[in-house]
Amino acid sequence: MFEKTYRDRLEADLAQWEADGVIAPAAAAAIRHALPPLPAGINIAVVVGIVGGLLIAAAFLAFVAAHWTEIARLARFAILLAGMIVAGALGAWFATTGRNVLADLCASIGAIIFGAGIALVGQMYHLGEDFAGGMLLWSIGAFAAAMLTGSRGALAVGLVAACIWTCMRIYDTPDVLHLPYLVVWLIAAGLAFAWNSRVAAHLVAIAVLPWWIATSFRFEFDGAPPSFVLANGAALLFGAGLAIAAWPSPRAARLGSVLSIYGAFALAAAAALEVTTVDDNFLFRSRIASGQPLWSILCGAAGVILTFVSAAFTRRAGEILAACAIGLVLLAAPVWPVSTAGEPWPAYAALLCAMLCLVVSGVLDEVRPRIIAGWLGIAGVIAGITWAVKGSLLGRSAFLAAAGIVAVAFATALNRLLPRSAR
Amino acid sequence: MNQLAMSLAALWHRTPKAVLFGVAVLVQCALLVLMVADRMQILREGREVTLQTQPVDPRDLLRGDYVVLRYDISQLPAGHLAGKSTDARNPVVFVKLAPNADGLYAAVSVHAGPVPVTAPEVQIRGRVSYSCGTNIRTFCDRLTIKYGLESYFVPEGEGGKLEQARNQQKLRIVAAVLPSGRAAIKRLLLDGEKVYEEPLY
Repeated sequence: MFEKTYRDRLEADLAQWEADGVIAPAAAAAIRHALPPLPAGINIAVVVGIVGGLLIAAAFLAFVAAHWTEIARLARFAILLAGMIVAGALGAWFATTGRNVLADLCASIGAIIFGAGIALVGQMYHLGEDFAGGMLLWSIGAFAAAMLTGSRGALAVGLVAACIWTCMRIYDTPDVLHLPYLVVWLIAAGLAFAWNSRVAAHLVAIAVLPWWIATSFRFEFDGAPPSFVLANGAALLFGAGLAIAAWPSPRAARLGSVLSIYGAFALAAAAALEVTTVDDNFLFRSRIASGQPLWSILCGAAGVILTFVSAAFTRRAGEILAACAIGLVLLAAPVWPVSTAGEPWPAYAALLCAMLCLVVSGVLDEVRPRIIAGWLGIAGVIAGITWAVKGSLLGRSAFLAAAGIVAVAFATALNRLLPRSAR
Repeated sequence: MNQLAMSLAALWHRTPKAVLFGVAVLVQCALLVLMVADRMQILREGREVTLQTQPVDPRDLLRGDYVVLRYDISQLPAGHLAGKSTDARNPVVFVKLAPNADGLYAAVSVHAGPVPVTAPEVQIRGRVSYSCGTNIRTFCDRLTIKYGLESYFVPEGEGGKLEQARNQQKLRIVAAVLPSGRAAIKRLLLDGEKVYEEPLY
């Protein structure tokens, strides 16, 4: 997607370096020659063509909708099938002629028409109301299209439908973990790995979040703070991402790095959520409920272990600090005081240290998103500590001042200990 | 294993793109056809059961061009299920039905799982839509149950007549019920006369 921008920048730099005499004209020509040709993009004619196609499709849909009830049922069914066949045929033609973006678009539109087809068949044939079941069926059809055609759009449609399906099932059956979704998610992750596609990796990373959020909120009724369960999920995503990225394969590196970035952001969000929400959980604070379920604790522990395993393979100091960041966020849960009288200073300190570790980890490994996640986490935790005025505001002010002094002292010590090049 | 994966990948790359798109469309079309075929099986093989409809709260009236239906069997006493816990917020239940003197089917008992029935009894599968409350996972004394027969799409403008008849308790439906308990509306009766008959496809 950014190839053209990179080429423009490189061309400008080459011209500048040539003019400054930094490189010889022959070297600049050799660099230009070494670059592969730019992949065919979408030009203005294609964009106008797409708009025209969409307008014709909208006109056809409006015409059919206006006469929908007058059309015989079998003819309506045939129209739905024809819509999918036309989208597929166009996609096949574009794919054969090498216009992959348009082929992907057609497969995606075909998957959306399939979803609309499920709803309309349900209406035409008076099928019972099982919205979640319909979403699962939509997801299966979209995944089939994604697998066969390599369409990222169809994968996105399938994941959206699967997310709605799992959230509805989790709401309906709160006491049972909805594990079938994980099978669907693993298939999607397998596709992202096989395609070696960054877009697919982002889709897969985003798609794991609704399951964790829905699963964590169902425990709220039993008194387990959702942020603790979310923190364990973020830990597993972060750790598993780093472990996958450590695998000596470019495909694994691409998928794993994307998963680990989402894991880092999720960890920062969970830390901020803990500070702002745990004290409001009456059942947890009044010792009626346990903090988090065992499976969730095991997921968090697995995240820490996987990060250490990854660090052992890659020998990166930043990953050891990432493991410390994860461990400290998880440590906040058991040290959080359950008594309504106690102030959670150790937990606050653990969360602040965790976010600081995340920033330093990103700096050492030169992973900018991890640094941003850490800074956002620090901002969120400080804002949460200031905002959650449960006890004395003076006490919170003293805590923040003490934390600041410790951080400045730590920075001064680092400045003296580390050689200039390593800072 | 690696060899197999590589040969599969090679086969995949050799397959023309048009074939892959064609298979994708076929899979999606097959899934839609399966939906219709599944319902066709219920209508063809299910035992016919006549159910009396009930008036519906006026706030739920005519949503678009379909009629909201409620039956005598939509609200039932939980019987021996009352007070028992359930793992689902909206658990599946099986209701045993038997015909009364008028030929209308009425509920005999509610069960958490399938039960053996002898003709002319049938069991119908439903889902509890409301028990004690939305977050309480216990069967209460009275259950509101949905059977997938609660809406019927009609041509535009014809819903009002049917809803008026339903509110005067003149509307009945004939449902086809499979031994597994799955049901589908087969025809609508107005004052005992057939007004809508569902074709098989």
